[in-house]
Amino acid sequence: MTAQSLVCTGCGCLCDDIQAEIEGGRLGRIENVCARGAAYLYSSVNPERRASSLVRGRRASLEEAIEEAARLLSKAKNRLIFGLDNSTLQAQAVAIELARKLGAVIDDASSFSYGTLIQSILGADLPTCSLSEVKDNADLLVYWGSNPTHTHPRHLSKFTYYAYTEYDPAGWLPTNVTLSCVEVRDTELSFMCRPAFKIKPGGDQHFIRAVLDEGQDGTGESQTFVELIKKSRFCAIFCGPGLVYSLDDDFSSFEQMVHKFGEGTRMAVVPMVAEANLRGFDQSLYKQTGYVNRVSFAAGVSHGSEFSFLEQVRNRLPECVLIIGSDPFSDLPQSLMTNLEDVNVICLDHFSTPTTNAADLVIPTALPGLECGGSMLRMDGEEVALVGPKKGEYPTEEEVLQQLAERI
Amino acid sequence: MSLPEEGIPLVMVTYQDIYQWVVKQRDGWGSDACQKHSAVARISPADLKKLELKDGARVELRSQSGCVVVGIKSDRACEEGMGYMPASLYSNRLAGYDPSASRLPNLRRIEVRAVPTQKDITPLSDLLVRKTVA
Repeated sequence: MTAQSLVCTGCGCLCDDIQAEIEGGRLGRIENVCARGAAYLYSSVNPERRASSLVRGRRASLEEAIEEAARLLSKAKNRLIFGLDNSTLQAQAVAIELARKLGAVIDDASSFSYGTLIQSILGADLPTCSLSEVKDNADLLVYWGSNPTHTHPRHLSKFTYYAYTEYDPAGWLPTNVTLSCVEVRDTELSFMCRPAFKIKPGGDQHFIRAVLDEGQDGTGESQTFVELIKKSRFCAIFCGPGLVYSLDDDFSSFEQMVHKFGEGTRMAVVPMVAEANLRGFDQSLYKQTGYVNRVSFAAGVSHGSEFSFLEQVRNRLPECVLIIGSDPFSDLPQSLMTNLEDVNVICLDHFSTPTTNAADLVIPTALPGLECGGSMLRMDGEEVALVGPKKGEYPTEEEVLQQLAERI
Repeated sequence: MSLPEEGIPLVMVTYQDIYQWVVKQRDGWGSDACQKHSAVARISPADLKKLELKDGARVELRSQSGCVVVGIKSDRACEEGMGYMPASLYSNRLAGYDPSASRLPNLRRIEVRAVPTQKDITPLSDLLVRKTVA
């Protein structure tokens, strides 16, 4: 088998240096991939892990499933399109068009994760940078509420700390850069950080306020943090879900802190997006509507929290939900998801998930990066082209969405 | 719904666990390996003592949204009153969404009561949302 280049779409890093031996339907040795990416790519050749074409639990042809999906979407009055965070930019564009055509609500997981942060970055309210700018330039790396050793295993070695060119004489640690984190617990990363800032769960707002007061709260921790930033030239803050949830989606004090230190230090914020192309969805929708998520096309373009997936489901508003490459039945409170028990759910996915298990209609799709090409935006907003060297039996999301749009 | 008075109060903090993610992806979300890596809570030795349990015993975690039976592990890194568990179907059975209390669901920090139990670990299949649409 010969090695072929591909981009791993297992997380928001979109590692573009993967070499995989591919022959026919087989996937052999894969190089440069992390444990997460390996599990993701190898499971694509496990038929038991792949989604099957199903109509109400019964095996169906792809044609039949698409026809039925079009019928359900056509007859519903209120439609909700959700997900697309692991889809290519091309599929996202078709889905946004489909939402517009249907007068549907469209939302993604960013509405309960990084949406507010990304909207601030796209609106230039928060400074950002590309990951390639970080390497060898940023002299302070702060992972805040994020443990990349579990979520983005190659983040440190490919883009940040261990990617730096200059190391100490022993060859152990990069010089001219400080690795730090703000965490609620001891993690593999916090043991590597000098210093690591340990805060109480939910204590991020308090810590930020203490930092804004230049460490006047008397803990010493916030004072050390202030000094660390003040003596750095270029500080990159990698924001994780711990920060997002602790701030309860209110980044005003965080923005204030970044701007305050931006007077003396170059500050850059990068969301540690877990999904392969959440950044792409948010950016695409933002370009078209001015909003990164929670958009309704029922009467022109409307935006608001009432159009979030959470609120739509809580208020039992949609009659038909189209979920694309997302697993809300696994990732969200079950007490909320039971509200979809009597709603038609259509799911497009590569893999079998609790959401495909719950869906009335499942349409299996090709895995971007491995089985189909296109492009995605990495967590820092850089566009990455996908090759798709292993042609499979599944249609792309873009093809399925186009067929749905043609039939409605 | 208020929390029961039995057991001890804990705040469960969830986190992403690569080992759980890998087995979920590799072996499937309904696999025994996935259950083993998901149905676990780490608490402080002091809380374990309060519960009069040994490492590896089972507890029922009860929140305002639901309850699950998971294995318990003693972890010196945990502070008293805190617990840690991987984000999974188990933690999401306990999590809820109340927009009058917070903008986001409480997926990351969940108030529970931990009660010693002899019940079996809650099977993953019991945590799936059943659909009733015709």
